[in-house]
Amino acid sequence: MTGKNQTRSANPSRRELLAGAAAAALAGCGIQQRPLVPSRVSIVKAPAYDQSVYEIMRRLLREQLGDVRGKRILLKPNLVEFEPGTCINTHPIVVHAAFEAFYSLGAASVRIAEGPGHRRNTLDLADSAGYFQTIPRFEDSFVDLNLDEVTRVHPVRQFSRIKKLYLPNTALGADLLVSVAKMKTHHWAGATLSMKNLFGTVPGGIYGWPKNVLHWSGIDESIADLHLAFRNHFAIVDGIVGMEGNGPIQGTPKPAGVLVAGADPAAVDATCCRIMKIDPLQIQYLRLVSGSQGTNITERNIRQLGESVDRVATAFELIPEFRRIRLENT
Amino acid sequence: MSVDLLLNRQNHDGGWPYVHGASWTEPTVYAVLALLAAGEDRPAGRGLDWLRARQVRDGGWPPQTGFDESNWVTALVALIPPEQLGAGAHARSIDWLMGTMGEESTITFHLRQWLLGDSSPITGSAGWPWVRETASWVAPTSLAILALDKENSRRPGDALRRRIAKGRRFLLERMCVKGGWNHGSVRVYGAEGRPYPETTGLALAALRGASGQKVDISVGVARDFLRDCRSADALNWLRLGLMAQGQLPPDYSPPEIAYRTLIETSLGMLVTETQKGREILWG
Repeated sequence: MTGKNQTRSANPSRRELLAGAAAAALAGCGIQQRPLVPSRVSIVKAPAYDQSVYEIMRRLLREQLGDVRGKRILLKPNLVEFEPGTCINTHPIVVHAAFEAFYSLGAASVRIAEGPGHRRNTLDLADSAGYFQTIPRFEDSFVDLNLDEVTRVHPVRQFSRIKKLYLPNTALGADLLVSVAKMKTHHWAGATLSMKNLFGTVPGGIYGWPKNVLHWSGIDESIADLHLAFRNHFAIVDGIVGMEGNGPIQGTPKPAGVLVAGADPAAVDATCCRIMKIDPLQIQYLRLVSGSQGTNITERNIRQLGESVDRVATAFELIPEFRRIRLENT
Repeated sequence: MSVDLLLNRQNHDGGWPYVHGASWTEPTVYAVLALLAAGEDRPAGRGLDWLRARQVRDGGWPPQTGFDESNWVTALVALIPPEQLGAGAHARSIDWLMGTMGEESTITFHLRQWLLGDSSPITGSAGWPWVRETASWVAPTSLAILALDKENSRRPGDALRRRIAKGRRFLLERMCVKGGWNHGSVRVYGAEGRPYPETTGLALAALRGASGQKVDISVGVARDFLRDCRSADALNWLRLGLMAQGQLPPDYSPPEIAYRTLIETSLGMLVTETQKGREILWG
């Protein structure tokens, strides 16, 4: 099993155990309950969408994952709209690099799946975004999550007001659901990263386009629900060129030159926020899941691998409504 | 060839899947309409049996078996003539549509907004949602208008006309600033929304018989899309929308594009029949 809990608990280092012990000692302070083992998040520099991404991705996944041999992997990129010259979607090279890397690590199958929220013709969208061109036989590996078979799920804990949550069987049945998100600011949520990317798992065939039921049920709360509904996920964030300003569609490209990954999506997203110079503690959906089992968002509970946040941090421009979440302001 | 594809994809239970697996209401309706148009009454009849068996007590249809709430697909089923669907089932589907509107148009919502200090004027428009208790959007509104307009051409009535007019008002309010429609937001994340080809075609079909500057501008947008677009789904709806407006260029011939989904195939067959003068989506 390569779910996030298993991955995180594998062979903790002495440093991690010491950190955990220190965290346990401070647990009574009432700030946040500390885990015994901090979440491990990798930051690697990736300056451009070129061949180097393939080797970087292999290195990143080897560092983060345990044994994936024989596992069924599902990659969930972020496909929203296509406008030439923009950076709305996860770049196809990043997805293809993950696709190849998982196979090279011995995965039994790797599929790519997405359920866009605005456009119904998913394959046309993927085509426009360059996925057919970059990923050989893309259509054979792809599942449209909007039209997939569904199962009603009952999250152990629910934050949103959604009455009945149905999710696609392809995502529920994968041994590892890998959110391959884009590093972007978000007009309503502040930042959209690996957790918000799971909106694309909500089936349009049941809820429509856009998936308005999630908005009526509470955006941040729905993000938290989805995070808890999938317990077997892993996060990769494409920050090679992110989006700043009025994201997730109308913003402007922002090169950050990094890939960020880890088995705790909340820790990955919190790290991305710090890279973007956003205070993760001001992101409502991160606050909601903070403290859930195996979920960490505070710096002291995240063990950074590869680059440090300070070395790669670059301030993403924020719309006026969100300037209060700027890290320096809080 | 298209008929063969539909026949090969029909499930044993009589319905059709989106891609493969269990039957869903939406692809089943499109396949049934296409097969009826092609004179393939027997497989269409099995599809109709599947649909009839899944009507919910409230008169609507769920998106698939196992999902017990009626939603937007009811409008699609209501496009099937009562002679084929069954008069009772059809009448109840029309009642369901007449009793459904986007949450933002309900009295409760307006009252709540007023209490919260929102004094936005009530425009009298009312669209349809994808799922009950959520907001209205362009696609479900357009499909509901098509179904009610078809019913109104069979059995005209004031209530039907008023509801259609409210729906059309909603569409005109949600038109993008420079014409055409997207999913239904004039502004997207605070910026001017851009139209999509498929929803532009769909909304123009629902505005059949309507006139005015907004419709004219959007016809221009649709014709621009028609020239450049390479999506089979979008081209199907653009052609239907322009035909509904009597504005499909007479010499238009679609580019060679592969149909990627069963719905694209079914809708392509309906476009061809409509071009021959058969009125399938409108009365």
